[in-house]
Amino acid sequence: MNRLSMPAILGALRKSDENLTGLFDYGFAPAENPLRHLGALAFLCMVVSVVSGIIAFALYDTSVSGAYDSGRRLQLDPLLLGRLLRGMHRYAADAFMLLSLLHIVRETARGHYAGIRWFSWLTGVPLMWLLWIAGITGFWLLWDARALFSLTATSEWLQVLPVFPDLLVRNFMTRHALTDRFFSLIVFMHIGVPLFLLAGVWIHVQRVSHVRIWPPRSLVIGTLVVFAVLSLAVPAESLGPADTGNAPAQLSLDWFYLFVHPLVDILSESGTWWLFLIATVLLGGLPFVAGKGLKPPSNQVRQEGRAAVVDLSNCNGCSRCAADCPFGAVVMVDRTDQLHHRQQAFVISDMCAACGICVGSCPSSTPFRRIEDIVSGIELPGRPVAVLRKQLKEALAGLSGPSRIMLFYCGHAADWQSLRDASTAVLSLECAAMLPPSFIEYALRLGAEGVLIAGCREGDCEFRLGDNWVQGRLTGAREPRLRAAAPRDRIAVVWAGSERKQVARALSELRQKLTASVVKPDSRTIDLFVEPMLELHDD
Amino acid sequence: MSSHTLSNPVRVALQVLAYSAFALTIAYFSTSPPYRLRADGEALIKLSFSHSAQLSQACRQRSEAELAQLAPNMRTKMDCPRGRADVLVELDMDDKPLYRISTPPTGLRKDGAATVYRRLAIPAGPHRFRVRLADGPDRVFSFSKELDLTMAPGQVLIIDFLAGEGGFVFVRE
Repeated sequence: MNRLSMPAILGALRKSDENLTGLFDYGFAPAENPLRHLGALAFLCMVVSVVSGIIAFALYDTSVSGAYDSGRRLQLDPLLLGRLLRGMHRYAADAFMLLSLLHIVRETARGHYAGIRWFSWLTGVPLMWLLWIAGITGFWLLWDARALFSLTATSEWLQVLPVFPDLLVRNFMTRHALTDRFFSLIVFMHIGVPLFLLAGVWIHVQRVSHVRIWPPRSLVIGTLVVFAVLSLAVPAESLGPADTGNAPAQLSLDWFYLFVHPLVDILSESGTWWLFLIATVLLGGLPFVAGKGLKPPSNQVRQEGRAAVVDLSNCNGCSRCAADCPFGAVVMVDRTDQLHHRQQAFVISDMCAACGICVGSCPSSTPFRRIEDIVSGIELPGRPVAVLRKQLKEALAGLSGPSRIMLFYCGHAADWQSLRDASTAVLSLECAAMLPPSFIEYALRLGAEGVLIAGCREGDCEFRLGDNWVQGRLTGAREPRLRAAAPRDRIAVVWAGSERKQVARALSELRQKLTASVVKPDSRTIDLFVEPMLELHDD
Repeated sequence: MSSHTLSNPVRVALQVLAYSAFALTIAYFSTSPPYRLRADGEALIKLSFSHSAQLSQACRQRSEAELAQLAPNMRTKMDCPRGRADVLVELDMDDKPLYRISTPPTGLRKDGAATVYRRLAIPAGPHRFRVRLADGPDRVFSFSKELDLTMAPGQVLIIDFLAGEGGFVFVRE
């Protein structure tokens, strides 16, 4: 029974996703792994569909006699441009549906339906309806045998809803019943619904910052090449013209959008409505039942609900926390105290994931301050910087072996407490980017010979951007920077997710390096610790 | 083995493999597998019409007492209930019942047209069709039509009902 419980299924899904993503990492660079850009790739498909659709619309004849010929004309264009246009439009639309479904599956596997992500999840559900409506109406415009079948079947399906007093299907049951206005109406839908879809996508990403709306260039090129090759090699073609006097016994269907018709044949019209309704309610309701048995799998207790808080006496309004927050939960507002700084950070607690990235970005989050009870400008109530410093000291104090290493790890990636030994101290964080760079140097000063930071797989940060920020801080590309004087040969980072072997190997490699170089904390390094705050107010 | 240990040609080969799988999935499901709607040797009947049946009750004259109970502006002598009768349709093929339906009028007050739409797959070949309709409260068939037709495979026969044109209309395009 326990094996089939929902958390167990979600845990298995998460593990499968991690393995599959890892597999793709062999072929693509982690930052260009398509599985990490499913939403952005879906958006790319939408743009390709819209652009090709605008051109196709200019060439489309919205009349009973001209609709079918419009498609055929493109299909038979000797320069193959029409074929390319139709193919790009059709295959991009198909890929849009496929990638959107994969996007849902992956986000479910990663538990991204719960917590502060409820908004993105919920606003994504109606997008699937809009996408499907936008797609299926496109098939009707071609007015071939498939269009007539789909339109008839859809009308029959809609007819069971108690909102249509007249028989919709009679509008195109005979060729005399059909009018040119019908095609104008379908064009109106096929253009109007994607506009709502576009607006919906905009709403969908409102609660995330640094949105990656475009996939990396290599993926854009690869995807466009796939569409172009498909368009020419397997052209998207119309079937025979719609004939109300003849019904084919067999049809080729586009299963990405026309799957509903076989489904209706299997389940009945009302059965299919119920299925769609239940699926929509279940998907939409997932964030609200997430805390009741469907809590996403996680490797440690989350701090959700304990949003970050700003301590004005330590906030100088530098805005780094606002710049780094992956969910736009920190904003800069006019100063409310009498200090001379112009602005202060303000946390919108409903949007705060309590990831601690803001703590890692705050210039006040330095353990080198002389006061006993240090307080940062922005703190996680469940894990104040003072506690973090205390835990770090305690962890390092327990080391007795050679080549001592301090392992900081993201608790959402895995629990690496089991790696603790006489030479290895471990400290979990909400996110790897919760670690202010000054803590690395502090650990080295307290006796660690090396520091290893272990996080989620590259590009898979539980809080979206943590790995980027850590890399940026350590390489000096982003504030707060690891000081240039810090001994980088004694600092390592591993984006391993829950791959124990990878973390163990990184530990071993760092230890070998430390042993081989016999690098010990030197006086120069230690002396430089007295000035870690000097560069923090530069920008 | 990490992703960084693979040589470039291997990485490119893996990317080609991934893109190919993507392309094949799209290409295949955009047309396949073909969907079978019915057997090859079958034709199709579409019985469809929208018809306002007779009133379910005849008009009657209100008594003086009834009129007195009504508001002054509502005192019309004739009481004509708006409700209409159900429409009963029976379709026989080769002297055997093929389809029968009794459908109520639409509208909250049951005063709208009754609508029927039904797709029926039949074997292709020669057939005798007989269709009749009752639209009064007495359920007597007041419209009827018989026809011998040879249906080709895939051919669609539309059976419509147009009271203004005398009743049932058989359409083959």
